[in-house]
Amino acid sequence: MAYHAKKCGIRFQPPAIILIYNEQAKEKDRQRIMPVRNFSKFSDCIGAAEQLKNNPRHKQFLEGVSLQQLVKLYTVLKGHLQGQSLVESLQKIQQETVFDPDENLNKLDDKELKKRKNLMDKLFEKNCKKKDDPEFVYDIEVEFLQDTQLESCGWDDGSDNEF
Amino acid sequence: MAGDGLTVPELDQEKYDADENVKIICLGDSAVGKSKLMERFLMDGFRPQQLSTFALTLYKYTTTVDGKTILVDFWDTAGQERFQSMHASYYHKAHACIMVFDVQRKITYKNLNTWYQELREYRPEIPCIVVANKIDADLKVTQKNFNFAKKLNLPFYFVSAADGTNVVKLFTDAIKLAVSYKQDSQDFMDQVMQELENFELDKKVEEEEEDDLSDKEEYDTHVAKPHIP
Repeated sequence: MAYHAKKCGIRFQPPAIILIYNEQAKEKDRQRIMPVRNFSKFSDCIGAAEQLKNNPRHKQFLEGVSLQQLVKLYTVLKGHLQGQSLVESLQKIQQETVFDPDENLNKLDDKELKKRKNLMDKLFEKNCKKKDDPEFVYDIEVEFLQDTQLESCGWDDGSDNEF
Repeated sequence: MAGDGLTVPELDQEKYDADENVKIICLGDSAVGKSKLMERFLMDGFRPQQLSTFALTLYKYTTTVDGKTILVDFWDTAGQERFQSMHASYYHKAHACIMVFDVQRKITYKNLNTWYQELREYRPEIPCIVVANKIDADLKVTQKNFNFAKKLNLPFYFVSAADGTNVVKLFTDAIKLAVSYKQDSQDFMDQVMQELENFELDKKVEEEEEDDLSDKEEYDTHVAKPHIP
């Protein structure tokens, strides 16, 4: 039997992951409450999310929910247990998952730079042509003409100090 | 007293005077993809090996240019760009420069100016290639005009370390430029250095420079084994 996940959220008290889903071939939506146990402000959110996703009782219901979303929900709960407001927790998650292209990465320490690189690596991995890919070609040459007819990149404008 | 690391043969910069050795340096902001480009070019030849504690990564590569075997050392930053400046020894005896920015991040393009100025302080004449990396993220950028390279009359390449577009061309062209620069180097600094090497005095100067290096910088060296594709 296939379940179609529609919404998944977190309840703080008592802590639980709540899933709204419907069973295929049935009109009616159902709610599944999955209590969060043995989770503290020191717990590992990724580990907890993986455990829930692989839990034999919940597994089939959570097929349509990404691990990433579950990690996010546990992170919000953890923030709550640490005394952060919901807004603060969400802001923190936002900062860590969204890449700001205007940030000067030269100014970051190793740990922060690594986080940004990990975000960029996702795109890299997505577009990466690996050596064992049957379509892999070592030397790919593409000619792109640069002439003044082209629209400016928009980064050259401004004072004489700029390019 | 020179730092221990400088006795490591891989960092002996004297060898760059020999005809068959060239040194090519990479410049650009943090996370523009300098190492990813190196790794894409070297493929299996990329086998990092920690040698000592220097904040740079060294990739060795062997190739042939006009029937002659050429040993190339690619120098890549390993976090030194954090200071938006590189140690003088990074530029020392370099024969070509690959300067990279990320087409997704304007600041890395703007900072090319700073990198270029520093490069020219140390190496006024060496060939320099400007590289727009990560075009796979948005191919539309290749339809746009980037003025920086044109204004300075520098070669300009659109590349992608992820899908491989123009990566091999970039590096093979950089090697050719480095070799031809070396063959008919008119670089004033090179001539001065050559002159200086005839004097005893030179030794002292070099040693002071090395002291400086060992005190200030922590280097991290990886060496990739030579590889001919």
